[in-house]
Amino acid sequence: MARALNRNASPATNYMRLLLPRHSQPRQTLTFRQPSFATLIVTSLLLCSSFACADEIDFDRQIRPILAKHCLACHGFDAHSRQADLRLDTREGALHSGSGDAIVPHDTQASQLLQRIQSQDAAMLMPPPEFGKPLDEEQKRLLARWIEAGADYAQHWAFQPLMAASSESGAKSATSDLIDHWVADAHQRMGLEFSPPASPATLLRRLCLDLTGLPPTLQEQDQFLASYATDPHGAYAATVERLLASSHYGERWGRWWLDQARYADSNGYSVDAPRQIWLFRDWVVAALNRDQPFDQFTIEQIAGDLLPNASESQKIATGFHRNTPHNEEGGIDVEQFRIESVVDRVATTGTVWLGLTIGCAQCHDHKFDPISQAEFYRLFAFFNQQDEPKLKVHWTSNPDPVTSPTEPTAEVTTLVMQERTERRPTHLLIKGDFTRPAEAVEPGTPAVLPSLSARGAIPDRLDLARWLVAPENPLTARVIVNRVWQVYFGRGLVESDSDFGLQGMSPTHPELLDAVAARWVEQGWGLKQLHRWIVMSRTYQQSSHVSKRQVELDPTNLWLSRQQRLRLDAELVRDAALVASGQLTTTIGGPPVFPPIPAGAMSLGQVNRPWKVSTGPDRFRRSLYTFTYRAVPPPMLNVFDAPDGVQACTRRLRSNTPLQALTLMNDAGFFEMAQSLAMRIESEGLEAAFRRCTSRLPTAEELAILAGLSPLDAARVLLNLDETISRE
Amino acid sequence: MSTESNSRENKSLQHATRRHFFSQCGIGLGAISLAQLMTENNVRAFDDNTNDPMRPKPPHFVPRAKRVIFLFMAGGPSQLEMFDYKPKLQEYNGQPIPASFIEGKRFAFMDSSHRIDLLGGRQAFAQHGQCGAWVSDLLPYTSKIVDELTILKTCQTDLFNHAPAKLFMNTGTGQFGRPCMGSWITYGLGSESQDLPGFVVLQSGPRGPRGGAVNWSSGALPTTYQGVPLRNQGDPILNLSNPAGITDQQQRELVDRVSQLNLKRLVETGDQEIATRINAYEMAYRMQHSAPELMDTAAETAETLELYGIKDPKESSYARNCLLARRLVERGVRFIQLYHTNWDHHGGPTENLEKHLPEICREIDQASAALVLDLKQRGLLDDTLVIWGGEFGRTPMGEVRESTGRNHHIEAFTMWMAGAGLKAGLTFGETDEFGFGPVGEKAHVRDIHATILHLLGLDHQKLSIRFQGLDLRLTGVEPARVLHELM
Repeated sequence: MARALNRNASPATNYMRLLLPRHSQPRQTLTFRQPSFATLIVTSLLLCSSFACADEIDFDRQIRPILAKHCLACHGFDAHSRQADLRLDTREGALHSGSGDAIVPHDTQASQLLQRIQSQDAAMLMPPPEFGKPLDEEQKRLLARWIEAGADYAQHWAFQPLMAASSESGAKSATSDLIDHWVADAHQRMGLEFSPPASPATLLRRLCLDLTGLPPTLQEQDQFLASYATDPHGAYAATVERLLASSHYGERWGRWWLDQARYADSNGYSVDAPRQIWLFRDWVVAALNRDQPFDQFTIEQIAGDLLPNASESQKIATGFHRNTPHNEEGGIDVEQFRIESVVDRVATTGTVWLGLTIGCAQCHDHKFDPISQAEFYRLFAFFNQQDEPKLKVHWTSNPDPVTSPTEPTAEVTTLVMQERTERRPTHLLIKGDFTRPAEAVEPGTPAVLPSLSARGAIPDRLDLARWLVAPENPLTARVIVNRVWQVYFGRGLVESDSDFGLQGMSPTHPELLDAVAARWVEQGWGLKQLHRWIVMSRTYQQSSHVSKRQVELDPTNLWLSRQQRLRLDAELVRDAALVASGQLTTTIGGPPVFPPIPAGAMSLGQVNRPWKVSTGPDRFRRSLYTFTYRAVPPPMLNVFDAPDGVQACTRRLRSNTPLQALTLMNDAGFFEMAQSLAMRIESEGLEAAFRRCTSRLPTAEELAILAGLSPLDAARVLLNLDETISRE
Repeated sequence: MSTESNSRENKSLQHATRRHFFSQCGIGLGAISLAQLMTENNVRAFDDNTNDPMRPKPPHFVPRAKRVIFLFMAGGPSQLEMFDYKPKLQEYNGQPIPASFIEGKRFAFMDSSHRIDLLGGRQAFAQHGQCGAWVSDLLPYTSKIVDELTILKTCQTDLFNHAPAKLFMNTGTGQFGRPCMGSWITYGLGSESQDLPGFVVLQSGPRGPRGGAVNWSSGALPTTYQGVPLRNQGDPILNLSNPAGITDQQQRELVDRVSQLNLKRLVETGDQEIATRINAYEMAYRMQHSAPELMDTAAETAETLELYGIKDPKESSYARNCLLARRLVERGVRFIQLYHTNWDHHGGPTENLEKHLPEICREIDQASAALVLDLKQRGLLDDTLVIWGGEFGRTPMGEVRESTGRNHHIEAFTMWMAGAGLKAGLTFGETDEFGFGPVGEKAHVRDIHATILHLLGLDHQKLSIRFQGLDLRLTGVEPARVLHELM
């Protein structure tokens, strides 16, 4: 599976090989080589400006994107919008549909496709000029060469089974080494190399923020630096284990999952009344903290209520799909909005687990991916059989009955799923319109993916849940590994993290993605294991500083020749400041809280909701616990790009705006933190405060810039630093 | 190249930079020209604004308008009482609408209060201006400016509940998570304002618009492009004021020292985002001064205040928001959206056609007309597009609750536009005898979106981003037509 560099080939050819798929490469034993550099320089790569230098055409990377972008909207999977009865998404279609001679393999003259794309006659030209997506000459040449070579199609990479690290030495390698191997492999071809490791202080801060979302305390910094000085690897590995065992790990990564679950504390739409579903939030945090394997984690959320003797906890888990917004506006058709919830559940399941834009097939066959409208409604049928009750739970703030058997309990409710006793028939809805039902459909999964095995005559949600995490499912593991990777490097190996379909992007490191995903499934879907693999890699531990050469060779860090400096997520911007100022309340779980918000912030929705600011410790809880109204999201979190919970958010944007500056400078909550930090400056000194904020020692020059400021002014400066809200 | 040598390379720059920086910091970073120094070391200069997502960007073609003011009448104004004169409706008052009109149609409140009996318009209509447009006596001021307006009588939308329909009018879809028009436009064109947000939202009326922040959400676009609500009480922008006890001098000092330290980090790490952050702090500081100045409507002349019908310039009102819209336009803001509630006249005790519609018309009539006139007299109307309308209209059939009202109607409703070189005095589209649906040309929300973008020099097919497998566009995937007849 290795794509070893052919030392006799020209650098350009080797570059091309990098872009070629694994299938067209000779499979060789995986060996770890020291990357040889300086053999490739970018100028020689650029001499070969196209793929045309390579002998082989790679359908998946070279041809499919052209077809997907320029042809398939009218000649694709969607039968309804198909023109001239011609489909080009399958070889069968390209050779035999339409007039039957769109593509004649090995015959460029007879292939009508080539005639049409090269036509001088605007009426004949394809794509039609009014479509607005003309082909360039290079693309035309590629299509011609592909047809000349026989017009082979290949199955889209994401639908193929995972490639395991099959070779002997690869199979034995530690997964972190596998990661580094494939990253180095790409470096070598690109003329890049690993950056040096980040400084110990940076490494600690990075680990703490990535694994728990909280920066290291002064004491943690001292301890780490001392032990790192004598045993770097041991100190680092021990810190990783300590952080993975911390209950703040579940909070940090719980938020990652809650984004995808579109969690919020209100109903959304216009009335936006509060709802109570925070037990689901706490369930997520607890499940991650006990490292529940991801397959079980999935099954309980999709169908926990259907498990034999379902426990209360497993029922609470089904709150995942009760996080849909709910319209309480007068004059609505209740059935319409029930159906919208079901549609959202199908689309969210597709996005979160399969990385597919299944929601596109609600109104018509998918234009690009092999998902028919009927298949959308077959998935819909799984989620069309539920009542949506509230579950009464006796809640205690300390869930451990051993340590505190007398803890008083409160009765709270949470939203859950429950299978109906009487089945609702499901129909395909014409154009997605619930007033226009067409043929009845039964529950089922898309034909392009491995088939589902049902326990009974009619498959149910539990069968669906198990199918999502079946080892033969090629998507779920890839999608989740990629989405975890994305958090660590700011970008996934597949940049289009929620579109693994034909229009999505190809992985930059396909072997890496597959090797890690395959291992992950083999070794039991442990998320902590996955985190460990990544953070123990050399790739992860690189410095994030950018050199001029890297800017030239790899401006967007596609090839991971450095770590990526990242602004913290919204919640962590505040949490880190709470830690720095020494105010954080570390209590885990419980009802949402109301930290200070700017006056008037709640008046922007239809209903002016009360916001009774929490007093005491609740004022300083982690932002994960801040009450979130969908219609009036907490301003501080909102300006730093926290999702509003109206739909699944699989990747946060990172904006950088004046409103963020106003928040950090003037927000009442941040000012309180500055006042608290000012007191620390008085008692501990400026240097310690700098370390509280940035997790490193200031330079003399930096201290000079802070000199002469009052403790409060200095505290405000420190809390406003770009570095304080970043992880490097 | 190692980080170490990178740092070494940066050293000389750092010295030069610091020197330069310190000598300039009193007047802010915008004035510093470091282009030469910076580009030598992969650090972009601050006056090279390619990193600034709000920098002005050229449109796709020559625009007719540079900016938009959208007067959003939240709740669905009754076109039949205001613009769409239907004598026949009066004649058939109380009789059921012929079944052919409503077959297969759906309405809000279908189960309970929906009625099929026609309700005659209750206002007196007259023709006005050179163009002879019909306007009711509820809008005496608007009547006087009809020759400046382009009235669209056959607007159509797809959704008939408030929150989804508002979302549809703003984002082109009833689905959540899509960018709204103001976000698309500031994404496409950037902003010409150096010290105010590019997309501003103002609210008036008894309650906020249904759906709240999703109406001005940037959806899949960065939050840089989301609408910033300007508030009429307290801080006009959340967190605009310094914390209690912090002087302007302290604040300036804060921005300077933060920027100095950030600059050092920029040189050390090479992360361009830090340059953007430095600029963001400068703009935030400028905003702290420009926003209160903007809100100071008392500085306007008595004639201007009178034109808008503003008695107390400090008091929050739709009229004051119209005046603020003009002041925002003068300051280079790209997209300004006013929401005024509540137009939802079903016939309930606080929402009927007899009392509450006339009241809300009085709230908006004079100021809306004044805005058009004021923009015109200042030479701003030619390249400003003003839009007036709600998320849908109201049914020709009456609704009888405690008193009279009308239900939500999506088949035909009225909006008007002004400025942007549109054909002034034109009435586009015509409805049938009962005002139920269009006869001939119609202006679907998608067509309206395509037209607005076109007026700004943007091709609605080209203004797109990639999101979850879709080429997202304001006009979506269904056909949308630029209404060239209006131009």
